[in-house]
Amino acid sequence: MKATFPHLGNVYLGVKALFDGLGIDYVIPPQNSDHALNIGTRHSPDEICLPFKIMIGNYMQAVEEGADTVILTGSCGPCRFGEYCELQMNLMKSLGYDLKFIVLDMPKDIGIKELFNRLSIIGSSSKKSRLQKLRAVKTAVQIMHLLDETEALAHYLAGYERNKGQCKSLFHRCRREAMKCSDPQEMLSLIKEYKKRIEYVPVDINKDPVKIAIIGEIYTVIEPYSNFCIEDKLMDYGVSTKRGMTPSWWLKNMALSPLKINSLDIKKASRKYLSLEIGGHARECIGEAILSWKEGFDGAIQIYPLGCMPEIVSKSILPAISRDYDFPIMSLVVDDMTGEAGFITRLEAFIDLLERRRDNVLFGS
Amino acid sequence: MKVGIPKGLLYCKYHPFLVTFFGELGAEVIVSEDTNKNIFDAGIKYCVDDACLPVKIFHGHVNFLKDKCDLVVIPRIMQLWKNEYICPKFCGLPEMVLNNLNGLPPAITDPIYATSWKNLYSWAQKSGNLLGKNNRQIKVAFNKAIEAQKNHKTGIDDEGYEIKIALTGHPYNIYDKFLNMNLVKKINNLGMGIRTAEFTQEDILAREADNLYKRPFWTFVRENYGFALNSAKEKKVDGIIYVSSFNCGTDSVIIELIKNGLPDFPFLILKIDEHTGEAGINTRIEAFRDMLERRLFNESHISTLG
Repeated sequence: MKATFPHLGNVYLGVKALFDGLGIDYVIPPQNSDHALNIGTRHSPDEICLPFKIMIGNYMQAVEEGADTVILTGSCGPCRFGEYCELQMNLMKSLGYDLKFIVLDMPKDIGIKELFNRLSIIGSSSKKSRLQKLRAVKTAVQIMHLLDETEALAHYLAGYERNKGQCKSLFHRCRREAMKCSDPQEMLSLIKEYKKRIEYVPVDINKDPVKIAIIGEIYTVIEPYSNFCIEDKLMDYGVSTKRGMTPSWWLKNMALSPLKINSLDIKKASRKYLSLEIGGHARECIGEAILSWKEGFDGAIQIYPLGCMPEIVSKSILPAISRDYDFPIMSLVVDDMTGEAGFITRLEAFIDLLERRRDNVLFGS
Repeated sequence: MKVGIPKGLLYCKYHPFLVTFFGELGAEVIVSEDTNKNIFDAGIKYCVDDACLPVKIFHGHVNFLKDKCDLVVIPRIMQLWKNEYICPKFCGLPEMVLNNLNGLPPAITDPIYATSWKNLYSWAQKSGNLLGKNNRQIKVAFNKAIEAQKNHKTGIDDEGYEIKIALTGHPYNIYDKFLNMNLVKKINNLGMGIRTAEFTQEDILAREADNLYKRPFWTFVRENYGFALNSAKEKKVDGIIYVSSFNCGTDSVIIELIKNGLPDFPFLILKIDEHTGEAGINTRIEAFRDMLERRLFNESHISTLG
């Protein structure tokens, strides 16, 4: 078995550590690019959302490098993501690829037995002992958490740093170096070290940068390619950003959801506007908008792929929040036709707006 | 008390229940007009631009009712069957409407889980309490409403046409004459009979859907996919027309599933949005009919799909 998986932000580093630890052969698809999107768009249904198209591109590029099994998470919420596996299996088959799919669904939908069955397919190709396997999973989860923390730190400190671009370059170097590690423990200590280095980046505590929260659909906010690296751009502008949606948040949320004690703060914050779970991460989007207002952020940017059903509902609600809390929120829609220049213009205009609201046009220079 | 019921979305299927229930509770039931240009335009004006056309039209209906009633019913249909949703927009419909429209009267927005009588009754109870009725009155009205709903049959199954097609899609796209530009009549005028999903039994629909790798979690996947595959396999129809609104999330999946299931069967997809031109729709249906005619009567042994 030669496993592969679709890209989602920095998840590839966590999965790399996991497979290295388990001793499973794997292929990491080339980083998302226009090429991946183009071949994905060519073969995907027209009206499906953007993540689907990029993922198809990932699979096809991974197959070229010898992958034969795709590992994918699933869901049975009312959002389209749950149907991805079925459509992608059919699509890859009709394109003539002999690709096996292992779909990791929630136990309440497929039964715990079936989930263990599917997991054991992955586990059986590893020759490690059970203890070593558990240790590999633990290290991978640790790495994911640490990476998300490091990334969040870099995004936040970018507004305060004395030497412009230091946080950004440190974090990107961290990702590059981590990719070279072949041992999970080595990767873990490397990320720890980079986290420390980012923590000690010289900052100007007298600065009061514009702070923006990134909210919206989970794939398009986490995967930099799909949102034109919006967070990197904001770092360049000297804006502090925060994003609640991270792969480690998702893991924790999934693990706690059967007990219904997941993301209590978000549930509480969103109750007034959206009291029910409607699928996707609409509720988290609403909750995070309110939470970031409470934390003193200047504004929020919602990003979602065209036609995303849950986010259309939250887009209807966001203007009400914006009105009630006097909190600017901008919605950005991405799909395979989005032009980067238009995107940047809107982003810059939004930052200008936030700056002017503080009565200081020269701010940030 | 005047209770307003918007004539949008699944009203076409469940209106006997809603109208009877609130009528029996002693409320004056006001139903919005059939979709017309004014309702259509208001819907497009007030709704977020990304939403699909039926949801926009629903906004128009609520807008029509807002000055005419004291309480408006916005059905938040979560589930009609166990573990199956309709669409996230249905689950968040009240939020969309209440935030997009201003000056609305109070609304009934409690979630409807129609998976069992008991679950449905809990919705009825909450709504009845809002009208100030006691449990006995609610129970009586509820039972009458269920009775009315059971006696109400929707669906089209034409006889006596030489070509018969399956008309699939969400019910509100099929039965809203303004939205689909009187599609049913258009098809009939071209000498084609129509069959809709209501005439296929639930267990047959479910059996087709069971062949899928993933258990469908949308009601309309099961209905439309099951119906399309079943009627094609049992040769009940000669072709399938799928009416879909632009940017419909569920349809983008269902259409792909049907295409995969029936790679070699005449299948026409009609996309509808607020800019759809009637002439284009006419041309496509006529061309589809011509194709079916040739396939059936002239060159039936050659696949017209290539």
